[in-house]
Amino acid sequence: MAAAAVAALVSSTEQEPDRCGSEEENRGVEAGDGGQQPAGPAAPGCSRLSKLPLARIKALMKSDPDVSLASQESVFIIAKATELFVEMIAKDALVYAQQGKRKTLQRKDLDNAIEAIDEFAFLEGTLD
Amino acid sequence: MASSSGNDDDLTIPRAAINKMIKETLPNVRVANDARELVVNCCTEFIHLISSEANEICNKSDKKTISPEHVINALESLGFGSYITEVKDVLQECKTVALKRRKASSRLENLGIPEEELLRQQQELFAKARQQQAELEQQEWLQMQQAAQQAQMAAASASVAQQAGSSQDEDEEDEM
Repeated sequence: MAAAAVAALVSSTEQEPDRCGSEEENRGVEAGDGGQQPAGPAAPGCSRLSKLPLARIKALMKSDPDVSLASQESVFIIAKATELFVEMIAKDALVYAQQGKRKTLQRKDLDNAIEAIDEFAFLEGTLD
Repeated sequence: MASSSGNDDDLTIPRAAINKMIKETLPNVRVANDARELVVNCCTEFIHLISSEANEICNKSDKKTISPEHVINALESLGFGSYITEVKDVLQECKTVALKRRKASSRLENLGIPEEELLRQQQELFAKARQQQAELEQQEWLQMQQAAQQAQMAAASASVAQQAGSSQDEDEEDEM
């Protein structure tokens, strides 16, 4: 028990005080050049709050060379926003399927939703 | 799952995760495969879109690291403001989890023992470890020496035996 406490003492000096901001700075995700090792998992413990793999989201963000460091929590909320996005586009596409009196959602329903909804304009031309 | 294509830009969200989300959103609705595929790709685009916008917002601020605040502003400016309430709720949960973990680990670290005492114990453990290591090395050294000695003795008696053996041979010959 004492050994664990002592071992923990060695590492505790690396930890910043409670402010979320500084913890995030410590564990920033390296993106673009530099190609260093990632500074640890995104938002440890928060991965079970997300339906999407945070590591994958992090990798996707990093694949854009312009994107700089991102905090763990940022990766986490982008994951959450993506979940909401899927919900939204699926429901919007369903409307078109129902208009066409179909029970199966098809690709053209998504295409229609993309065309009709302003926020989805960035998806125009998204290929398979 | 190692990717044999190895190209980082072929990254997408795993299909299974998307399928699950679609199923939860639209239970009892059949969804064509190519529609699912499109959703997967749309997610990739979405992530790039938000990251890029958040990155720009971050660059304009005095920070070097994209923060949740930047992401939230990005959502707003890109027309996804309706996501913000839920995103903020979940962010709060995430912070609470992180806070609990930090508290839990500091409780373990402390155990009510003051830092100086912990340092002292640490020094003790190091000293003990060094001592054990030294003893171990000494033992190994002794063993090596013993082994070497034995080998020497064995070699010596072997050569004596050989000499004795060869003189015996000569006697026999004489007798014959």
